[in-house]
Amino acid sequence: MSLISLGLILFKIVFALCTLSVAGYLLSLLVKRVMLAKISTWILAIAFVFLTVYLLLAVISSTGFHNLGSRAFFSFCALSASGVYLALQFKTKTRLLGAFISPFILFFMIAAAGQETGKSLLPEGLRNWLTMAHLTLTIVGEVLFVLASCAGAMFIIQNGLLKHKKLSSMSRLLPSLSDLDKINHICLLWGFPILTVGIIAGAVSAGFTWERGWPADPKIIWTVSAWIIYGFLLHQRLAIGWKGFRMAVVSCAVFILFLLSYIGVRFCFTTLHDFI
Amino acid sequence: MIVLLGVNHKTAPLAVREKIFSGCEEEKDLFSRLLSLKGVQEVLHISTCNRIEIIASIEGKEETVRSLFDFLAQNGNLTQEEAEKCLYNYCDKEAVRHIFRVASSLDSLVMGETQILGQVKDAYRRALERNATGTVLNRLMHRAFRTAKRVRSETAIAVNPVSVSFAAVELAKKIFGTLTGRKILLIGAGEMAELTGTHLISSGAEDIIVANRSPSHAAQLAEKFHGEAVSLDALGEKLIEADIVISSTDAPDYIVTADLIRKIHHQRKNRLLFLIDIAVPRDIDPAADSIDNVYLYNIDNLQDIVDENMNIRKKEALKAEAIVEEEIMRYTNWLKELEAVPTIVSLRSKAEEITQAEMKKASNWMQKFDQEEQEKIKVLVNSIVNKILHTPVSVLKEECSEVGSTDIVATVRQIFRLDE
Repeated sequence: MSLISLGLILFKIVFALCTLSVAGYLLSLLVKRVMLAKISTWILAIAFVFLTVYLLLAVISSTGFHNLGSRAFFSFCALSASGVYLALQFKTKTRLLGAFISPFILFFMIAAAGQETGKSLLPEGLRNWLTMAHLTLTIVGEVLFVLASCAGAMFIIQNGLLKHKKLSSMSRLLPSLSDLDKINHICLLWGFPILTVGIIAGAVSAGFTWERGWPADPKIIWTVSAWIIYGFLLHQRLAIGWKGFRMAVVSCAVFILFLLSYIGVRFCFTTLHDFI
Repeated sequence: MIVLLGVNHKTAPLAVREKIFSGCEEEKDLFSRLLSLKGVQEVLHISTCNRIEIIASIEGKEETVRSLFDFLAQNGNLTQEEAEKCLYNYCDKEAVRHIFRVASSLDSLVMGETQILGQVKDAYRRALERNATGTVLNRLMHRAFRTAKRVRSETAIAVNPVSVSFAAVELAKKIFGTLTGRKILLIGAGEMAELTGTHLISSGAEDIIVANRSPSHAAQLAEKFHGEAVSLDALGEKLIEADIVISSTDAPDYIVTADLIRKIHHQRKNRLLFLIDIAVPRDIDPAADSIDNVYLYNIDNLQDIVDENMNIRKKEALKAEAIVEEEIMRYTNWLKELEAVPTIVSLRSKAEEITQAEMKKASNWMQKFDQEEQEKIKVLVNSIVNKILHTPVSVLKEECSEVGSTDIVATVRQIFRLDE
């Protein structure tokens, strides 16, 4: 069996496992049983292992990390989202966060499945390590921001239930406010420097490739705006002492704003980053 | 036959329960006395603050039940009238149902409480140590424990707290996750605040500060919790440090105002704050609840949660009753099968006797075979006998567990002449 066909089988397995875990998480919300979320977390952990093997095979079968195909790249996005979520599970017992993050993971997997096998992600002139590092770090940084926002959304729900004096089954199912705030904090704390390094790598790579530094590309503007807001949120948290509800609301509002503007940028503008 | 006699919080007032409890406690050799009663084969004695019960496997009905009844009445020094009014007795299936419901906490004063299972296990352990139980009660108690375990794991009967102080602990966990390292501020030294504080500390909260108008009361309570006692003047300062505040003073006005919380909230760096106001009239301004990251619950809010949890328990109790019925069926089936055991043993003995007798008769002509061949013939004969007996034995077991043993057992005994 060739590496490519083995990779294809692994990809299909991961896709099935991700779908299963999303179904499990959503079902746990529906029937309000945390046990289902726990099982889904294990399924996601298995998917993570298979996905890691799949990506290793993809790197081996391509001529290098910078020549990675677009399917492998989107799979990497799914890997980073699931990896960050699973890592957070060691810090906090917030299994139900998976119900919010797993649809994003599945979305990345669907995007990966939609890519042609063997199609290279980067255009000819951009295939270098620096551009790949830029893409990878930017994606990981933004995944952390997504997680911070998911934790924020859960915080808002739990806060609403507790403020209305309802210790309902949903409230019992959701993690504690303190744990959710901790996730928001950790994600911002790690996400900001990672995104910063990612943007710097992109700037350096652009300098080498286009020899004109920072072009006014909509996606660049979008990412830099995200970075600025990210920095603002982190500053407010660390220096001013924003915590809990306010942080959750702002994280969610910013996330929705960025998601909408990303969709606008992606479908209404031609950018230098059309390959993603 | 299994019988269960006793009193509980529903049938007897505390004074009567106390008398029977003391009587049984004073009885030096309770198990020997119970086992010496005519017809009592196995016995077990459960004694808690809410119930005193005797479960026994007996032979013969009325006389033995009467002697157990008299035993309890005499030990409790009860009048005939008191005994008739307070003591209950259940037989067979009803007795099994009762002990399964007791172990599953369906018959408890606070339905779903967890202590009773431990108490029933202790009672069983004591009976085991005195060799007072046998096949019937051993199996009964193991089934009771299994039923209790199923009820606990398959229903949510014991999940939600049904006391105000435990509801406060649950809420604190929903806000802070773990209570380890959390600081509690008790305002006022009331009994309820003390109880809630005790529960919070046993759930992991570490530091406790007691603020009270009377410094001596504050110091007394603080000493109990190894905490710090402060006067009410230091309230603002201590509110900055605290994560959970429990207030229960008899002050006529608000002690903790919304403005005070707003003022210190920045110094607290917007940390989550859980305020529990169990005072009437209220100590904490309800407007404080509108501040971000501040969660205020008064006594009515907590009571609503308790009531809601109680309703959930009642709904879960229906599921639990279904589990109990399922387990009763399993146990009674086993019990019925047990009735067939002496007949099965007799049947096998009779077959064994016939086989031995026939093999003895055949021993002369079997001489012509060598040792190995003789062994083969013996194996063949045993195998044929076992195969012939297999069907009647299986049918006997099945019929006994499903229909009731009297007819089929009598028929088998008659057909095979087992009583001759």
